[in-house]
Amino acid sequence: MRKLLVLGMLALAGVALAQPKVFKGTEPGRAGGAYRVTAISDPRTWNPFVARETSSTDIISLFLPTLTGYSPYTQAPEGNLAKSWEVRNNGLTVIFQLREGARWSDGRPITADDVVFSATVHADARVNSNARSSFILDGQPIRWTKVDQFRVRADFPKPYAPALIQGWYIVPEHIFGPAYRAGVQQLQALWNLDTPPAQIVSGGPFKLDSYVKGERVVLVRNPNYWGVDERGSPVAYLERYTVQIVPDLNAQLARFLAGDADVFAAANADQVAQVLERIRAGRLRAEIFPNADVTLGTNFIVFNWNHKDPFKENLFRQVKFRRAMAHLMDKKSMIEVALGGLGQPQWSPISIPNKAFFTDEVAKYEFNPQRAAQLLAELGFRSKNRDGWLVNAQGRVLEFNLVTNQGNNVRERIAQIFRDEARKIGVKVEYRPIDFNELVRQLTSPAADGTREFDAILIGLTGGIEPAFSRNVWELNGPLHMWNLGVGGKNPAKVEAFEVLIDSLMKRGATTLDQAQRRQIYVQFQKVVAENLPIIYTVAPAYNPARLTRLGGMFSKEQVNAITGQAPYIETVFAKE
Amino acid sequence: MYAYIVRRLLQLIPTFFGATLLAFLVIQLAPGDFVTRLELDPTQDRESIANLRQQLGLDQPLPVQYAKWLSGILQGYLGLSLSYKTDVWNVIGPRILNSMVLVVLATLMIYLIAIPIGVYSAIYKYTWQDRLFTVLAFFGLAVPNFFFGLIMLFLAVWLYDLTDMRLLPIGGMTNEFLHLGNMTRAAQWFFPPALLGSLVFAALFWRRTRQKLAPTFGQWVGLVLFGVSALLLLFPLWQGPGLPERLPYTDAPLWARITNVLWHAFPVVIVVGTSGLAGLMRVMRGQMLDVLSQDYIRTARAKGLSERVVIYKHALRNAVIPFIAGIGGLLPGLIGGAGLVEVTMAWPGITPALLEAISAIDLYVIMGLITITTILLMIGNVISDLLLAWVDPRIRYS
Repeated sequence: MRKLLVLGMLALAGVALAQPKVFKGTEPGRAGGAYRVTAISDPRTWNPFVARETSSTDIISLFLPTLTGYSPYTQAPEGNLAKSWEVRNNGLTVIFQLREGARWSDGRPITADDVVFSATVHADARVNSNARSSFILDGQPIRWTKVDQFRVRADFPKPYAPALIQGWYIVPEHIFGPAYRAGVQQLQALWNLDTPPAQIVSGGPFKLDSYVKGERVVLVRNPNYWGVDERGSPVAYLERYTVQIVPDLNAQLARFLAGDADVFAAANADQVAQVLERIRAGRLRAEIFPNADVTLGTNFIVFNWNHKDPFKENLFRQVKFRRAMAHLMDKKSMIEVALGGLGQPQWSPISIPNKAFFTDEVAKYEFNPQRAAQLLAELGFRSKNRDGWLVNAQGRVLEFNLVTNQGNNVRERIAQIFRDEARKIGVKVEYRPIDFNELVRQLTSPAADGTREFDAILIGLTGGIEPAFSRNVWELNGPLHMWNLGVGGKNPAKVEAFEVLIDSLMKRGATTLDQAQRRQIYVQFQKVVAENLPIIYTVAPAYNPARLTRLGGMFSKEQVNAITGQAPYIETVFAKE
Repeated sequence: MYAYIVRRLLQLIPTFFGATLLAFLVIQLAPGDFVTRLELDPTQDRESIANLRQQLGLDQPLPVQYAKWLSGILQGYLGLSLSYKTDVWNVIGPRILNSMVLVVLATLMIYLIAIPIGVYSAIYKYTWQDRLFTVLAFFGLAVPNFFFGLIMLFLAVWLYDLTDMRLLPIGGMTNEFLHLGNMTRAAQWFFPPALLGSLVFAALFWRRTRQKLAPTFGQWVGLVLFGVSALLLLFPLWQGPGLPERLPYTDAPLWARITNVLWHAFPVVIVVGTSGLAGLMRVMRGQMLDVLSQDYIRTARAKGLSERVVIYKHALRNAVIPFIAGIGGLLPGLIGGAGLVEVTMAWPGITPALLEAISAIDLYVIMGLITITTILLMIGNVISDLLLAWVDPRIRYS
């Protein structure tokens, strides 16, 4: 009887009008072919509720769908599994219409039950999914409910700008549901690396075919995928998607140079030169776009405003001091020496590739040691002692320690260049690389009285498109409000006026729905940060993508960018030969 | 003797607890834990970080964590990997096996080459051959393995450019697709010389036994090498023509998979082998020189024994005693992996997994590996001592 029911449902699903997503590629493609990439480490799991690192999610994103994402052409929200949406209640409610006829690779339909179930599990504190923060807004939950078989409704506690970006993975309820009801442990044990690939159900363009630990993950085309190209032919075009695990960057380069990998992102000028040389010698049919864009991640120096030493705390809180430090950053040398000539200076918190929000019209305290010396003199550091260090009237030497995480060559060189310039005008900077975890501890764990021990740290953060997702850094009580950190989730004891302004801008930015208004808010935010320098940005490394010419459906030189990458969609990439 | 063995085995117990406790403390005393790196992720809030720490049991006091781990170990359970959410053995087991391919082959290569060269160098000391080996030995010791590995990779790319054939692999342990057609054609080329070689060596071997003489080392090596190659080549000759030109690795027959792994292992084993080879060769030379200057060697020569008998029967047997005693020490090395060269040449061995575990502070993976290594080290030491008593009549445990 049950079998009959399933069969009946399958037939119904076939009859129902299919509503596939139309993927707009860069050129007409054809089916077949393989795509080979390299990855630096193994995935840890296939379970989206357990996955915490890109080595896992990069693969999961190929076989599990999301409701919406960013359009690769305009960066505006674009439907994936959601065909359309309707915003009601002044933005407090969004109703997402799912694609009818979308099916999992095992033939079952993808319905509102799957979506609501996935949302419930992601939001469950016991599961502790990496996507949990997408379900909480200022401490209040975002509620997901089923309207009918193909409509889900999200209720927000307050208007939320990124409400249309729902990038969490949707899982088949018929597989995860029973495990979840049996307990969180059972849920987390599902879809681990020892699960046979055939049991992993896909709702994305590819499905898992095989995995050899430490070697490669092979995915093959999912014939049940809910996507077509502009001519109505099914996508993905590619028959096979292989992730080769190569833990060493030079070995990854060797794979690309030998034509064993289809795409590569050169990390530095030396690698760019090697690829170029091989292309010129006619040994590799490939193209490379050096300095096509800069990466989303940022590198910056942050000073400790909660210092044990009142002298240092007071000093670091002076905007003149921070501007003087910014004037000591020789960003041109940093790009030349630390980045091998490929990169751009950065002045404000929003990553340069993020065109929707980035502005270049901000205050720039460019490299100018005389101006730095003048600013420090205004703070009282007028004379030098016998050793040549700047001192104030009380004889205090202008000195601080700068640390960065060991093993990050780019940061280590940036720190050294900064130290050398600072020492030239008499600022005694002691630079030392330390272990990453120790650095994080110093940065994020204040003592009971709220003080922290470091002077200055050079560190970086990963960037994204949506500025609202960096609220943890910029709001006063954020756990990464790292220059002036409050204790136990409270605001810092002593805040400056501009920090309050940043806090309110971030809150407004997250709750304003009009795109033009949002841009205004974040432009102002960038101006305030660049002016007051709670974080002093350094340089952004270049994005130097390379690929074999056998690939079609890729972005042109002008379109390639660090956010989307080398192709608008993996669905419309194809092999020309 | 049995009392000695029992006593040694009993001593293992406190050593085991001491070693694991120390390792546990050292890992835990280092700043940060598995969750620390998430703290710099702007999308994570305090609550979920605290939740995660509690879920993984990282917020409990150290003695509790150690006791929990220990009770698991006593039941043969190595613990749960924090990043893979699965039994530690599932994480490290396959990696150890992969590493073993390299370690076993490299060890064989080292012993088979280093001992004869060491003996040769000692007998013909200060000749140009000896000097050449010495220079090569120091070269092998001086070049770091990971660097040699990178050179190998670029050599492979260079050879590919030069010949348009994949003579050497560009990293990795297997290919995604196996070209069975190429393998079969190669086998058809190589089988006749391999067969001829084995026949020639078999004939030499047979003549030597007919003369009531032990076959020489060279004859043994030649017979084994040619014989094994000819046997292995039989499989593609027999099965190859009936198979498609190209198959995914997972669908290919066993002989093709073994050949593919061995082909990938070849450059890595060369890299790993050279450094070990250099050291062992020098030690063997020193040992041999030491023994050759002994009085009993002079006596043997004075008795009128042939130089051959003096060297192989009297000198070599005494000179290899330290090596035999060192065999036990190889045991932990078997699972320890081949070092950084596994990272540079993308061999999915235990070293990359261990480095990942250390940088992520995946506590139980590190502890699991340390535990297994410790146990093997202790067993290896016992074996070494017993072997020493067996080969050297001067040593007795009572």
